[in-house]
Amino acid sequence: MNMAEKILARASGRRAVEPGEIVVADVDRLLMHDLSGYLTGQVYDREVNRPVRYPERVVMVFDHHFSPPTEQQAVVLETNRAWARRHGINLLDCGSGNLHHAAVRGGFIQPGMIVVGSDSHTPVHGALGALGVALGNDSHAGTVLPYGKAWFKVPRTVRIEVSGTPRPGVSARDVALWLVAKIGEGELNYAALEFAGPYVKELAFWDRWLFPLLCVDLGAKCAYVEPDEVTEAFVRTLPGGSVDRLERSDGQEAESVLRFDVGDLEPQVACPPTVGDVRPVAGLAGHPVQWAELGGHGGGRLEDIAAAARVLDGRRVHPRVRFNIVPSSREVFAEAVRAGLVLALHQAGATWFPPSTGSNQAYNMGALAPGEAMISTHARNFPGRNGSPEAEMYLASAATVAASAVAGTITDPREVAA
Amino acid sequence: MSGKTFAQKAIERASGTRDLVPGQIVDVYPDLYMSHTASWRCIKTLEGMGVTELYDPDRIAMVMDHIAPAVTTKNAADHKLCREFAQRMGIRHFWDVNAGIAHVVLMESGLIRPGELVIGTDSHSTIYGALGAFGTGVGFSEITATWVTGKLWLKVPDSVRIEIGGALPPGTYPKDIMLRLIGDLGADGLTYCSAEFGGSYPGSMSVSERMTFCNLAMEMGAKNAYVEPDEITRRYLDEAGQPRDRYQELLPDEGAEYREVISLDASALAPQVSVPHSVDNVVPVDEVAGTRLDQVFIGSCANAKYDDLEIAAQVLAGRKVAGHVRLIVTPASAAVMSRAAASGVLGTLIEAGALITNPGCGACAGNGGVMTDGERTLSTANRNFPGRMGSYESEIFLGSPATAAASAVRGVITNPTDLMTEVSS
Repeated sequence: MNMAEKILARASGRRAVEPGEIVVADVDRLLMHDLSGYLTGQVYDREVNRPVRYPERVVMVFDHHFSPPTEQQAVVLETNRAWARRHGINLLDCGSGNLHHAAVRGGFIQPGMIVVGSDSHTPVHGALGALGVALGNDSHAGTVLPYGKAWFKVPRTVRIEVSGTPRPGVSARDVALWLVAKIGEGELNYAALEFAGPYVKELAFWDRWLFPLLCVDLGAKCAYVEPDEVTEAFVRTLPGGSVDRLERSDGQEAESVLRFDVGDLEPQVACPPTVGDVRPVAGLAGHPVQWAELGGHGGGRLEDIAAAARVLDGRRVHPRVRFNIVPSSREVFAEAVRAGLVLALHQAGATWFPPSTGSNQAYNMGALAPGEAMISTHARNFPGRNGSPEAEMYLASAATVAASAVAGTITDPREVAA
Repeated sequence: MSGKTFAQKAIERASGTRDLVPGQIVDVYPDLYMSHTASWRCIKTLEGMGVTELYDPDRIAMVMDHIAPAVTTKNAADHKLCREFAQRMGIRHFWDVNAGIAHVVLMESGLIRPGELVIGTDSHSTIYGALGAFGTGVGFSEITATWVTGKLWLKVPDSVRIEIGGALPPGTYPKDIMLRLIGDLGADGLTYCSAEFGGSYPGSMSVSERMTFCNLAMEMGAKNAYVEPDEITRRYLDEAGQPRDRYQELLPDEGAEYREVISLDASALAPQVSVPHSVDNVVPVDEVAGTRLDQVFIGSCANAKYDDLEIAAQVLAGRKVAGHVRLIVTPASAAVMSRAAASGVLGTLIEAGALITNPGCGACAGNGGVMTDGERTLSTANRNFPGRMGSYESEIFLGSPATAAASAVRGVITNPTDLMTEVSS
């Protein structure tokens, strides 16, 4: 069996499962953010109204808000707090970080777990060898909260083998953006994606993270990197980190294999209106941006912050650009302070924001005026997601974001940082 | 004629007239006009009137501090309007959403000079007295008119002299002095008066502490506030890049006439808290100690400067914010953030569990930290009116950064000296 099959078999009490079968599995972790948690709580209280079966398995993270700007939003958070207290679930309040980063840093995710969440990027936990699946709020209310279970159709496994050594200045984020375009949005519906090949295996944990993150854009059910010594070493750094339930493929072949070579890749930018509209940065060079941001599911890692600091070393943010930095977790913010990166980037003209999803969906910051453009490490660029539908969002690597912040226009980072 | 007060001298200078007495109305030519995020109102008014020329773009200072960065598309469009107007009209003194609170940014940048007259679209423009300037708040239409004509009418205020002596006991800060004064004199105690702070204590204060003083004078209705410029002022201006020959200090004369002289002994003071729902409802902290809090806010032009954050960090070092409390820290300016990041203060606050936001007005101006019914915040800001931080059914208490930090640790309103004793024992 492939990894996803093995995890589903164990969690459903079977010796073996096959793609296409429908199983009811025990869920190890439910992740909700402040918006989905609110909706789920409302449905649960109205339609189900019973104690949560395994409150210790449920985690709510306030990440779309870090400091509510309206009373209506304050009510959402206060309602969530009361709900969390009443049901005894884990609550990480404002400032803890982005849902998935905060859950990992808090020790809530382990290899082999089934992790569900009302956030479309929940499959990212495949980076730790967990089976991460995004479900709807009603599914959580209907089966996960009251019974600790959910039904799954066992997905077929597609292996994506990436090889080659990218040129200097081309990062894992560029590779990830490029893969969405190469494979195509919605082209791998309901598959389990195994990211493999020498390129992926040589990446450090937080760079691997960027690949299962693509799952939703490709239409897949879940995505993962088979856990290995890199995964195990990372898991041991987490509070309560355990590899006791780690699962790997038993050698079963994937249903199909897609192969890519990244040796010739240029830095990439995803253009509005969709994540799959990816082009080499050279084609966009010179396009003005007024905003740049490190943050969101695809950024705000210590690696992103360090990459931006390298680009900004001895340089300043362009006077007509506002460069926001949103650490992915409280831990990353503290690490960045200790490493001197907060000071260095602040003095170069960047502005730090509380760990959160930052400008994602513009709940607490990041509304754009008509005609404005932002370049960011975020995961989405749909028109209207950040204020005006007449504004533009470009997605790129931290180095490209930082280089663009310096130049005031979309810029190849290799032209800025020698 | 007897001696002159600071206000008489400052208005004589700005109006080019002599021998003014309180109550007289004159046209003054302010040296600087500050307007914040709501500058878009002024711009729209001007555009509606077809005005295309300004009196002196160099006297205009615009800072996008109140809603920063944009939360709605409307905010974003307002900011963009200001940004483009500044560029088009050659307004050099423009600070965007990443700069911090207007008052603090202008003082740090050397734009506020002793003796000069500064108007601002913010009631707490009295703060400029911390550098010996005459600062006062005006409305949007007044500042719009001044943009075009360069002048504004002003009535010469009566002056009140507030003499403060003695040294503050440990755990007590300039904020506590001001809260006590506001409590004693009332919200209308200094209506349309020039508040001149004198005596040995104000002379010992840093410019940051003087800012807290002059800022809060507004809460007694003062027209402006003033601390005599001295070597501390000059050194601050040196650092801000303002040469000493570029300004002329104005000092009140010996025999100046005051409506009233008030004396206060700082050494007799304990930490004070302003309780809901007015700033002049002030009690010693022990009277409300134990009141359960949901949120603590360290921010605003009153108390979010570097020394305020440092005081909070001293209390929070090695401690954690209580589980049920959100501690929001909003540095007053980018420069404050810089110093805090360099000195370790920022790291201490983060490790204690504080939420550090971008510099600006933040929750004080309702941008973040909004409360729902029944919630309670202790804030280092300057206002606690119902609804200022969200629901009309929420409550705001005001205190010093030390009281705020101690209260964040315990989760209830706490006398900071209680935690200081804990350290030494």
